[in-house]
Amino acid sequence: MIAHTGRAGAAEDTGDVGDAEVIRRSLEEPDAFALLFDRYAPEIHRYAIRRLGDSLADDVVADTFLAAFQRRDRYDLTRPDARPWLYGIAGNLIGRHRRVEIRSYRALARTGADEVAESYADRVDARVSASAVQKDLAGALAGLSAGDREVLLLVAWADLTYDEVAEAVGIPVGTVRSRLHRARRKTRAALGGADPTATEEERHG
Amino acid sequence: MDELSALREMRAQAPEADADRLGPARERLMAAARTAPAGTASGRRRLRPGRPGFPRSGDRGRIVPAGMNRGRIALAGMAGLAAALALVAVQVAPTGPPGGGDGAPATPTVAARYAETAVVLERAALVAESRPVAATPRPDQWQYRRYVTVQPNGDGEVQEHEEWLRYDGRKNAGYDLDGAFRIQDVPPDPGDDDLSPEKYAERLRRLPTDPDELLAHVTGDRHWIDLPREDPGGAEPSDARAFRVLSVYLGQRAVMPPELEAAIYRALARIPGVAVELGVRDAAGRAGLGVFHRPAGEERERRYLVLEPDTFRYLGSRTVWLRDEVIGGEVAFPAGSAYVTAELASTIVDRPGQRS
Repeated sequence: MIAHTGRAGAAEDTGDVGDAEVIRRSLEEPDAFALLFDRYAPEIHRYAIRRLGDSLADDVVADTFLAAFQRRDRYDLTRPDARPWLYGIAGNLIGRHRRVEIRSYRALARTGADEVAESYADRVDARVSASAVQKDLAGALAGLSAGDREVLLLVAWADLTYDEVAEAVGIPVGTVRSRLHRARRKTRAALGGADPTATEEERHG
Repeated sequence: MDELSALREMRAQAPEADADRLGPARERLMAAARTAPAGTASGRRRLRPGRPGFPRSGDRGRIVPAGMNRGRIALAGMAGLAAALALVAVQVAPTGPPGGGDGAPATPTVAARYAETAVVLERAALVAESRPVAATPRPDQWQYRRYVTVQPNGDGEVQEHEEWLRYDGRKNAGYDLDGAFRIQDVPPDPGDDDLSPEKYAERLRRLPTDPDELLAHVTGDRHWIDLPREDPGGAEPSDARAFRVLSVYLGQRAVMPPELEAAIYRALARIPGVAVELGVRDAAGRAGLGVFHRPAGEERERRYLVLEPDTFRYLGSRTVWLRDEVIGGEVAFPAGSAYVTAELASTIVDRPGQRS
């Protein structure tokens, strides 16, 4: 018999129990909520790092799961996947550090040095000096409204679908589309001439 | 490489945390779980509506997407105004919206008052017909817009926005958070469901100016521009769609032919469920005529176009939640929440950065 090698200290995740069922169970057995932590904390931690840097990510993750745990009785149990819900809570907490986030984008846009990448560079082989494209991207991110940026990054960095973003942020999916559209348009414009058609037309215009 | 792919590569080397790193956070959760009484969950506390730091987009539902612009249309030109005003005797119905029903009042503490829809909208049409035809802007001129929004999260914060859009839609400009003024190219985007001011002008010129023909046109329009593939509202009732599409057109005042504007008001009056409430305020606190559409089925939220009572100038919009909106099992916006906008300035200028 091969021993099951789960993550250290993790409750065993059989994988076939849906998130909603885990949450329902946790109403009776609060410990069961740990399963959700083990499923999603690693990726939410990474998402927090990408937006705020290494030093704030631990607190964001801890607060996300504490908040989720405390309001688990209000979770819509018809939604089998809790990932959007958790990203929504995490995004709300990340939003409290908006100045930190914006500052890093601005600094990156101005100097090419990414303090966020530097914050985890000692743990991975990360490139900390940004390309020209990344500088422009950072400038665009700094200029977006908080709501547009949230939608854009949930799609780009958390790989949420439109429907999931709608669920996470608490807006209609049509609003997700229009926000994402606007954010992409501004980002594309910041990349300057990334669209060859635009350059062509501009020259003749 | 498109911007989304480039963005996906940004900070892509950020590592996923391992169990050691996550240990303290997990322990905090488990400590809370240990002290939580089994069988009940804590915190029935209702969430604050909305989320501070996450402004809702200003184009919720895309009812009024872009600037409600008057452009070069003068506010004057009201030669026929006095005559038009004399026609009107606004009737006040203190008991509720036309048709009755169970919709919650928009302002819970004050009984809403309603105007006689047909009378008000005919008056609006007469005023609109008397407006002068605006000069056509040059493609290299800019549409300047300043507006404010109030999010439905209950904090009441008024956010001000300022933007310049070139008439041909190829560039936009504004101040970024640093306070630096930026002019950006707007590459052509076939997937865009918004139009440049110039394209709006073309589109409006093609619309019928007979109210019945106009209504038939917008009722049959799958979308307010020709991009049905993005239309999420395939099941949208035709009356609701007609109101929405006409609202969008009404927002394009910088490029609005007067006879079309008149036709829009007369077409609105023909849509079942359209009504006018008095004293609806925009985000700048200005009270006006709130034109809204009441659907045949359940009314979850009500969107008012707020018009200045004399000139019928568009002041802003007010969207009121009539019922709690529950998203993901939580009350995101309780009944009574409101998303409110107000147009403060809108004009055509020669250069970006100019305000008049």
